[in-house]
Amino acid sequence: MTITKATLDAFIDDHLNEQDSIRVEKAVRESQELNTLLKSIIASRDMGDHSIGAIWRREHLSCPTREELSSYKEEALDPQRIDYIKFHLETVGCKACKANLSDLICTKNSLTNPDANEKHQQFLENSKILLPKKV
Amino acid sequence: MVSLDENMLVKKIQKGDQLAWSDLVLRYEGRLTNYAQGKIKDHASCQDLVQESFLGFLANINNFDASRSIQSYLFGILSNKITDLLRSYGRLRTVETPVDSSGNQKSSPYIDPAMGASTWYRGDEKKKLENDALIKGLRLLINQLVQRKDYLKLKSIELIFVNGLSNLEAANILGIDNKTVASHRHYANNFIIDNLKKMNLSPSVFPHLSEQDQD
Repeated sequence: MTITKATLDAFIDDHLNEQDSIRVEKAVRESQELNTLLKSIIASRDMGDHSIGAIWRREHLSCPTREELSSYKEEALDPQRIDYIKFHLETVGCKACKANLSDLICTKNSLTNPDANEKHQQFLENSKILLPKKV
Repeated sequence: MVSLDENMLVKKIQKGDQLAWSDLVLRYEGRLTNYAQGKIKDHASCQDLVQESFLGFLANINNFDASRSIQSYLFGILSNKITDLLRSYGRLRTVETPVDSSGNQKSSPYIDPAMGASTWYRGDEKKKLENDALIKGLRLLINQLVQRKDYLKLKSIELIFVNGLSNLEAANILGIDNKTVASHRHYANNFIIDNLKKMNLSPSVFPHLSEQDQD
């Protein structure tokens, strides 16, 4: 695995799969050069600079929509699109889309659980004070 | 881009509509909780972080940038909260500085304990303008490739930009030759550069665009 600036950038965003993440961690621990580069990327981000990869990941630019993920689950899409979404989920490893898909697949709605429902209602009640005043 | 439906939802919440707020929480709660659980095993902490993310969203509802999707915005807040929590555990990126032959650290851990909470845009207006232009260019590029069903090119540039792979690594994954991946990268860089120029911005603000692969 070649560790580039873009790899470190993906590492900071916790985007790499576990295996690659461990590889990068090990490499950064052993190399002063990579360690310095990693620090400089973090500092640069804290100044507001972002790489193409960071922006792409943050804005979920290539993520399928929720509706598309639902159709993907039902295999009701063009085969090329299905192939791409599979790639996006499994090879790119998009964690937001995986979370979205799991939510769609999960048949047990949390609101059927009385405890979860009560917590949910309580949260809504407590958060009301932050709602803007009705105009 | 925010869909009309989402836009309406935000507008209603901005007017203090409790049902709209409840609808938004219901819509996004599950996916956000799943996302948090992928990074933090403690279910209670996950729920807390998700609720804090919603509160952060609500507290800033009047400043919500209508050009952004609610989902990306919420995932962004949550992701920052997860980062801050892991930092507070001292667990974020367990990487420490290089050690010498005796196993002693050569300098302090790279995570600066004084480092504050993560922020999204600390940059000035100009930086925001440049980032917005880049987002627009990338969206145009991705939409164009999707419409043309040029998924191979999209896969190449996604592996390079998003996963930070080299041309060779991307080529190996996709089962194509290195030169083809290089041409995809070149195409994407030129597309983005042209777009930035059209908006009277200098591509030099994104040095990555002129960086060539090491292969």
